[in-house]
Amino acid sequence: MKIALAGNPNSGKTTLFNAITGKIEHVGNWAGVTVEKKEGDVKQSLNPRNEDLIVVDLPGAYSMSPYTSEESITKDFVQNENPDVILNIVDSTNLSRSLFFTTQLLELGIPVVVALNKSDLTDKKGNTIDIPALSDALKCPVIQTVSTKSANNGLLELLNAVITVGKANKKQISPSIGVKKASTKEEFEKADKKRYAFVNNVVTEVERRKVSSEKQTMQDRADRIVAHKWLGIPIFAVIIWLVFSISQSWVGPLFADIFVGWIDKVYEGVASLLGENINPVVGALLLDGIIGGVGAVIGFLPLIMVLFFCLALLEDSGYMARVAIVFDRFFKKVGLSGRSIIPMIVGTGCGIPGVMATRTIKNERQRRTTAMLTPFMPCGAKLPIIALFAGVFFNDNSWVGTSMYFLGIIVIIISALIIRKITGDYSRSYFIMELPEYRWPSLKRASISVLMRAKAFIIKAGTIILVCNAVVQILQTFDWQLQVVAETAPETSILASIASPLAILFIPLGFGLWQFAAAAVTGFIAKENVVGTLAVCFSITNFIDVEELALVGGSAEVSAIFGISAVAALAYLVFNLFTPPCFAAIGAMRSEMESPKWLWGAVGFQLSMGYVLAFLVYQIGTLITTGTLGAGFIGGLIAVAIIVASVVYFMRKGSKSTQISAEMQSVKV
Amino acid sequence: MMSLARGKLNTPYTVNCVNTDHEDIREFLFTLGCYPGEKVTIISKLASNYIINVKDARYSIDEDLANAIMV
Repeated sequence: MKIALAGNPNSGKTTLFNAITGKIEHVGNWAGVTVEKKEGDVKQSLNPRNEDLIVVDLPGAYSMSPYTSEESITKDFVQNENPDVILNIVDSTNLSRSLFFTTQLLELGIPVVVALNKSDLTDKKGNTIDIPALSDALKCPVIQTVSTKSANNGLLELLNAVITVGKANKKQISPSIGVKKASTKEEFEKADKKRYAFVNNVVTEVERRKVSSEKQTMQDRADRIVAHKWLGIPIFAVIIWLVFSISQSWVGPLFADIFVGWIDKVYEGVASLLGENINPVVGALLLDGIIGGVGAVIGFLPLIMVLFFCLALLEDSGYMARVAIVFDRFFKKVGLSGRSIIPMIVGTGCGIPGVMATRTIKNERQRRTTAMLTPFMPCGAKLPIIALFAGVFFNDNSWVGTSMYFLGIIVIIISALIIRKITGDYSRSYFIMELPEYRWPSLKRASISVLMRAKAFIIKAGTIILVCNAVVQILQTFDWQLQVVAETAPETSILASIASPLAILFIPLGFGLWQFAAAAVTGFIAKENVVGTLAVCFSITNFIDVEELALVGGSAEVSAIFGISAVAALAYLVFNLFTPPCFAAIGAMRSEMESPKWLWGAVGFQLSMGYVLAFLVYQIGTLITTGTLGAGFIGGLIAVAIIVASVVYFMRKGSKSTQISAEMQSVKV
Repeated sequence: MMSLARGKLNTPYTVNCVNTDHEDIREFLFTLGCYPGEKVTIISKLASNYIINVKDARYSIDEDLANAIMV
């Protein structure tokens, strides 16, 4: 039996889906978290008779006439994929809007069961709903649920009702609303008005509200502070700084130290197991390549987990939708809207779901631009790079992460401005976004979400990153004649000879060493590889302890091994943050942009942005710290000039096309 | 008739029409329950956004949209 979960955005479909399938799909307290359909089996405890029950979680939709592309997924599924039962999740605090979609679902002929979700919130507000009367009016079963609770949540009753109507397999009778089959636009409008009239009648009959919803609440007062014209940004900045401080400086390192101790023990244990007689090449591959490289990456797991935990709490609270309001004003000026901030916040966890979240943006240019710029946010995989350089080169850790976050936002705003000029598209679009109610974030939900991400991180480290590190180790051990490279001449290895030509390009950026070039390239496979490859190339296994060194007077040791200045390190950090993301994220960009021209433009733009920013950081930084320009200034300047000139050329071309289209419009008029 | 942008806080207005060339936003507002004859209340005016109450939900809309909603 195939059960489709359909309902308005933020009615709790995915929370309910997770509760009945035992899966851990991403949830958040705003409209539009789920942007694709997901399947799962009902878990044993809710399915005692072992029926064949497949549940399909769908993106939220306000109606059967989709506004954005993820809403079409829902419409297409319930219309064309013949689910056996539609489980309509209705936010019980908002019957008067939600039931509109319900009336449309009831007309499809597929059996419908309504889950009145968030019924704890209705009780809290002192509202009452007459369930039998509602069920009578809709001509379908109505069950109260609280899918955030683990017991007494109504889910067993709900699934029983679903199984019963699914087995009866009777055509759903829709309530008599007086809607005839509509074919013209006027008829559709008339039908929709009748549906709303029906809903209004039903709601007045079954619902008693203690306080009418248009009265001011505490929540509205909170909105006026956190989304305030001038306070909004500083509040957001403090929150992000707290998130980075907690994860990178306060709580994260406590766990990291313990964790790194274990990794060191594994390293020593394996070393003693191998003994003295092991072939040195094999020994180095195992110890430095695999354990060292993977260990260096995994060592940052505690920092990342604490960061994800904080972000999960924020996502759960309802604050993120307010951030969209705060940024709407600034994003409007560069041709985007507050909607674009949501993919970027999601992208702080991982760029792939971030890029996918751009589906909730209606305007095509805005959607493509956002998909192109979302990877500029520091994703979870880039965090080890930030943490590494912050620890090795900069004593105070948390400002590095926070400033990279806000640098990301600033670069995004500047880039959006450039892209708007290149496309020549100055159309404005309306901004409307539902504001979810604030709630206390759940520690349990945040922990579950973090454990899931940690699992994914460990799996990635144990597979793709392990393989990459092994390959890097082998390539730097042998030369082209497949002889083992002498320790005094590491530059003769295969890896060095491949990476060296590339490293020349990086001289003006301050890190023209083949090791850094190799790490930047393996970073395209997965950004964690940057840290892993550096660990392998420089034979450092433990990056975390250097943070302790940093506290007692500079982690001179590692920075000496790296052989670059702090300014060059910052340039390298900036380069890795603002170059194209990993291949998987580029793949996501490709599918959301649906245009090869945009994709190639995006990758080219990202490469240029990374290069120009790293150049500026290194050269200006070197000028400030040493009073002279950095190495390779002239060559770099020429490269940057070429990049800037081509961007200006495209911008000119874009604004010409705007003029032409404006002229054409005036001719038409 | 005036635009919602010029409306007062905490006063329920009745929507008269949505004055825009973009048919899709009008339809979208309809699905939210913001259409001629229905009530809309401004809860707050923030930076460049209006928080409005339609049916039983809060929405943030920008000034352009507040200008398009005639009450």
